[in-house]
Formats: sequence, structure tokens, C-alpha cells
Amino acid sequence: MSQISSTSSRLNVKTIALLLIPIILLGGVIALFLSTGGGLKLTSPAPVENLNLERYVLKRGSIDLQIQNTGPEEVKIASVIVNSAVMPFEVTPSSTISRLGRAQIHVNYAWTQGEAYGITVFTSNSIPFTVEIPVAFETPQPSSQTFWAFTLIGLYVGVIPIFLGIFWFPALRQLGRRAMTFLMAATAGLLLFLGLDTINEALEVAARVPSAFQGIGILGIGAVATFLLLDAISKRQTQVTGNETERRFAVSLMIAIGIGFHNLGEGLAIGAAYSVGEIALGTFLVVGFIIQNITEGLGIIAPLLRDRPTIGRLAMLGFVGGAPAILGAWIGGYTASPILAVLFLAIGTGAIFEVVYEIAKLIQKDTAKEAMPLTVFSGVLTGMLMLWVTGMLIK
Amino acid sequence: MKTQLNRRDFLKIGALGVMGAGGTAAAVQTTGNSQSVSHHPAMQGMDHGEGTLPGVGDVDFEKNGFNPEEILTDFDYGKVSTLPDGRTLREYEITVINKNIEIVPGLEYPAWTYNGRIPGPTIRCTEGDRIRITLFNGSNHPHSMHFHGFHPGEMDGVPGSGPGGSVQPGDSFTYEFDAEPFGLHLYHCHVFPLARHIAKGLYGTFIVDPKEGRPPVDREMVMVMSGFDVDFDDANDFYAVNAIPFYYQNHPIQIKVGEAVRIYLVNILEFDLLNSFHLHANFFHYYPTGTSLTPTEFTDTIIQGQAQRGILEFSYKYPGMYMFHAHVTEFAELGWNGMFEVME
Repeated sequence: MSQISSTSSRLNVKTIALLLIPIILLGGVIALFLSTGGGLKLTSPAPVENLNLERYVLKRGSIDLQIQNTGPEEVKIASVIVNSAVMPFEVTPSSTISRLGRAQIHVNYAWTQGEAYGITVFTSNSIPFTVEIPVAFETPQPSSQTFWAFTLIGLYVGVIPIFLGIFWFPALRQLGRRAMTFLMAATAGLLLFLGLDTINEALEVAARVPSAFQGIGILGIGAVATFLLLDAISKRQTQVTGNETERRFAVSLMIAIGIGFHNLGEGLAIGAAYSVGEIALGTFLVVGFIIQNITEGLGIIAPLLRDRPTIGRLAMLGFVGGAPAILGAWIGGYTASPILAVLFLAIGTGAIFEVVYEIAKLIQKDTAKEAMPLTVFSGVLTGMLMLWVTGMLIK
Repeated sequence: MKTQLNRRDFLKIGALGVMGAGGTAAAVQTTGNSQSVSHHPAMQGMDHGEGTLPGVGDVDFEKNGFNPEEILTDFDYGKVSTLPDGRTLREYEITVINKNIEIVPGLEYPAWTYNGRIPGPTIRCTEGDRIRITLFNGSNHPHSMHFHGFHPGEMDGVPGSGPGGSVQPGDSFTYEFDAEPFGLHLYHCHVFPLARHIAKGLYGTFIVDPKEGRPPVDREMVMVMSGFDVDFDDANDFYAVNAIPFYYQNHPIQIKVGEAVRIYLVNILEFDLLNSFHLHANFFHYYPTGTSLTPTEFTDTIIQGQAQRGILEFSYKYPGMYMFHAHVTEFAELGWNGMFEVME
């Protein structure tokens, strides 16, 4: 017995040593390459520089640019030109910004409300970076007033429409099995469309993530991890309860979570845009959001139609689906992190597609009992078309 | 840099709504699919603060090797001798040097220069003088000197005109001609690509005084208007007289009340169609190209296209600080701005 264990432990030491050999060799190769250049001429004739604008803040008589150096080497800010005028400026903490370091450029400039500004920042290597301010607007600072404004935005675009959709519950309960399956299929279609929309948005934001942080990678990791995690949770739940009603509620909850993440992303976008004065939440747009997001409420309750969930549970589902829009608006309004946005959108993508998978399993059970050749097709298509048509109101 | 603005299509539509900034209730406007942004008239009164004037601090003149202060009055009469026929011979040696020039603090431009300065030496002579200029090319590109004025074809400094048309790195060529007609002229490199060779800094002033001379004045100055395209997108990023943006704004040119001032003004600005000169609180007599002793205009603003030049004469009645700048105001705020400090 002891011999076996000592053998296996000796084996382990040997295994570790064998595992380490390539790593040690790798270290040697890197050291050799760094010291000799490996025979390649890799020095660039022009420096590679990259600056990422994280956020601009307009205050009375001043413009602040919050930037991050996302290039491979340190960058020195040399000149700032605002609308064709070379302006004095200050950089804190220092005009030399290390790799992945952050700095704030402060310019005293008498900007005018509602006008457009173009800012060119020159580094010491004469590389220009431009910032566009399409509509100058005093940046909302955290205060009870702006906090309430962001809350209202989230309520309008997230919470209210979803609860409106949930109010269909009593009516839809009267439907027959075929109609319910159709509704489930429609929910799947709806979610597929939302999923695509979320991916599209995530890709857009990912393009703005500093290259070192690989936005696409964050999207992939977030989406896959969420999908697999939710799948595992759902399987465990089936094992534990085996109760069909609980299982259907779990699917509803997951739909609500998926939609919640989608709305979080939407809230982030709206909050960020609102804080730079670009948001245009006219009454028409708010109406558009209510119409589109009411379908999300419908999707959340679709799996529950043959059960009798309590009002409390329905309210909880609506809250989970809609309230993240408020949270998103707060986050997006006061900070601007494309990394965070991509992560949320990735989670939303994974959650939404996992839920589609769950719904597909539920539908499969229904269609196994009764032949419904075109119900699923027409349902899914209806769901997708619903979002496409209502989407016209807000695009 | 990228902005955060294009996140979602819907965010662009319509006008500002729901709640305005700082508690100002802005009008809610719906513009459907229009991309336009409307501004409420009430916003007109909301201009923000006094702000700061455009400008930058000083560059490292020692490292640059020249100072606009000196260039202003640095007339190069050459090595003077008398030819057997009694005429004056003026000899110059000019070297093309690649040199990094600090344009604004912290920003160096890989310039091409005549004798390490921008603009190059101000060559000054009298009508009828024999001019002999030896150009040595100390850089790694072919260059030339093309003078405005009368001269034989092989002295034109243009590729195809002979050995002087394109002086190879390490080579030299001597341009020789009689200085005429009298007036204010210029010289510049004429090697292809021309716009780049000029914009990189290869230009200078060439003054041919009339035989009888110009009426005496108290102060004479040279101002060469140009710009720098530091990011090579064929658009100027900075503008200046005598190369360094804002120099005479930071260091006003001191003159006295009643002093007669003569400015030799040359425009060699590349990429932009026009340049201009505007003098505050005063008027000047203007002699286009300096080829006549009679002014054509009494004005406070003139415009010049590239290679246009002219002589300005004026004096100040009152003491004070007076601006002079391009009345292409964009250029002024990008560096082409200066001050006269007129003292009792």
C-alpha cells in the first residue's frame, strides 16, 4: 500500500518535472528572443500608439476627457486642439501615460450648449486622436435629480412594459393547448430575435473595448459560461424536484433573467447616451419601447399558462425582467465602461439562448402528445416578426 | 479616439427630451426618423463661461537651433566681394539638413530645413548683384533651390533643368544668377513630391532691394507665413509666422509710437488656398511683390495665395498691445497670431 502511494507520488514529482520542462525551455526561448531579437528586424519606423476615450465630461467652461492608453507603449500628450483652436490644457496625473494607464485631460473652454465640438489630441509623436462631441450638454453629475431621471428612464423602458405584458396572464389562461404551444413558440421566436439583437449590440460595444481586453473574447466567455451554467442549474432543478409546475416556473424565471440582462444592456446604452446629451427619449420613443417590451412580458408568462402562480411570483418575474433597465441606466449614466457593457450583454446572450433551448424542450413535450405540424413554425416566426415590426418604432 | 455615441440607432433620433441638464426643462420634440437635432431657442442664453484663450507655451529654442525672434530681423547679405566688372558678388552656402523641430511644446516634427532653420536664411541683395549660392544636400533625399525671379533655365532648380534641378544626397550645386527684378521674392525646394518638400520646411525669403534703395524706415522685419501638417494627412494642424505657432503672441514685438515699420511678408502655406494678414487698430501701405515703390493699397487686411508676397509699411499712433494675425481666424487660433507692443 505504502509502496503504491510512494510510487504514485514519485510519479507525480516526475510528471511535474516533465510538465515543467517545456515551460523552462519556453522561458529560455523568450529570453533569447528578447536579448537578440531572434534575427528579425521588429523595430517599427513609427511608434504604435493608441488612446481610448472612456468618457467626456462637460462642465460650465470646461471639457474633461477621460482617456486610457491602450497602445503597447507609454504615450505623451503634447497638444490639444478644440474646434480648430490650440488650447492650453492640463493632464492629471501626468501627461505621460503608461501602458493601460488612465489620465484626465482638462481644457478650459467656453463651449456653447447644443453645439458640436471636435477635439484633436496630439501625442508627442504627432499622432492625432479625435474626439467628437456631437451635442455639447452639461454632463449630469450624480445627484438626486439625475438619479431620479435615470430611474424614470428605466421604469419607462423596462419595468412598465413588462408588467403590462404580464397583465395578459388571465386572458391567455383561457387558451387551448395548441394556442399555448403557439404562444411558447412565439416566445422562443421573440427570444431568438432578442438574442440576435443582443449579440449585435455586444459586437458593436466589443469593437470599442481596448484591444488588450479583447471584447470578442469577453463576449464569448460570458455567453458560453452563462449558457452552460443555466443549463446545469436547470438540469439539477429537474433532478431535485421533478415537479412539472416548478420546472415550468424555473423556465419562466430563466426567461425573466435573460430578458433582464437584455434590459440591463439596454439601460446601459440609454444611460450612457443620456449622460452625453445624445439621448432622444421623445414621447414617441417611449411609446415605442413600451410596445416592444410588452412582448417581453408576454414571453415571461408563456410557460406558466397552465399553472396558477401567485401574484407575488408574477410580480417577482416582472421585476427580474424589467428592473435591470433601471440599474443599467444608473451604471451607464455615471460611468462608461465598454468592458462592463460587453460582459452584461454577453451574459444576456448566453441566458437568452439557453432559455430558447429550455422552451424548445417544453414544446417538444407538447408536440410529442399532439401533432402540430405548422404551429411551431408559425409561432416562432410570429415572435420574431413581432419584434421586427415593433422595432421599427425605435430604430 | 472613438466616442460612446453610436451605441444604438435609436439614441440618435429626435431632440433632447424627458429632463434637461441642470434642471432645465427642455422641450420634448419628436422628429421621427430624422437625424437632425433641434435646439431650443432658450438655450441661446446658456453659453458657458469665459474660457481660456488659445495658445501654448514656449518650445525648446536651443534644441531647435533657431528662434523666431532672431529670424524676424536676420537678413543675410552673404559673403560680399566685387567682381572685375565692378558689380557686387554675394556668395552663400546653404545645407539641407533633416532635423526634428519642436513645433509646440512636446511635439516634434521631422522637418527638412535649409541651414537647420525654418524659414531658411533670408537672402538679401541689391538689384543687379551677382548671386552665387552653393547648395549642399546633407539629407537623405534629393532637393533643390528654386528661386522666384529672373534666371537662366539651368538655374531654375526644377527636376529636368540640369544638375541643379535635383541635388542628390551628399552632392552640391551652385546656383548663380543676377538678382532681378527688385522686389520681395522667395525660394523653395522644387523636387517631387512638391507639396511635401515645401511643407516639410524647405522655403525662405529672397529680397532684392532696388538700386536706389527703399525709403528708410526705423524697423524692418521678415515674416514667413506657413503651416505644419504633423500627421501627414495633407491638412495643416498648426499655423505660424516664422514657423513657431503663437511665438509673437507669447513674445510681443516691441516697437515705439511713430516708428516706421516695414514688414516683408511671404506666404508659403501649403495645403490651404489662402492666407492673410490683419493688423489691429492700424492701416498699412501695401506693395504687392515689392516690385513698385508706390503702394497699391492702404488697408488693414490683405490676402495672399501660396508664393504671393508683399511689403507692408505702417507706424502706430497710440501705445498699447495690438494683435496681428491671419484673418482666416481658424489659422489664428491654430498658431498664426502675434502681438505688437507699442511703447511711448
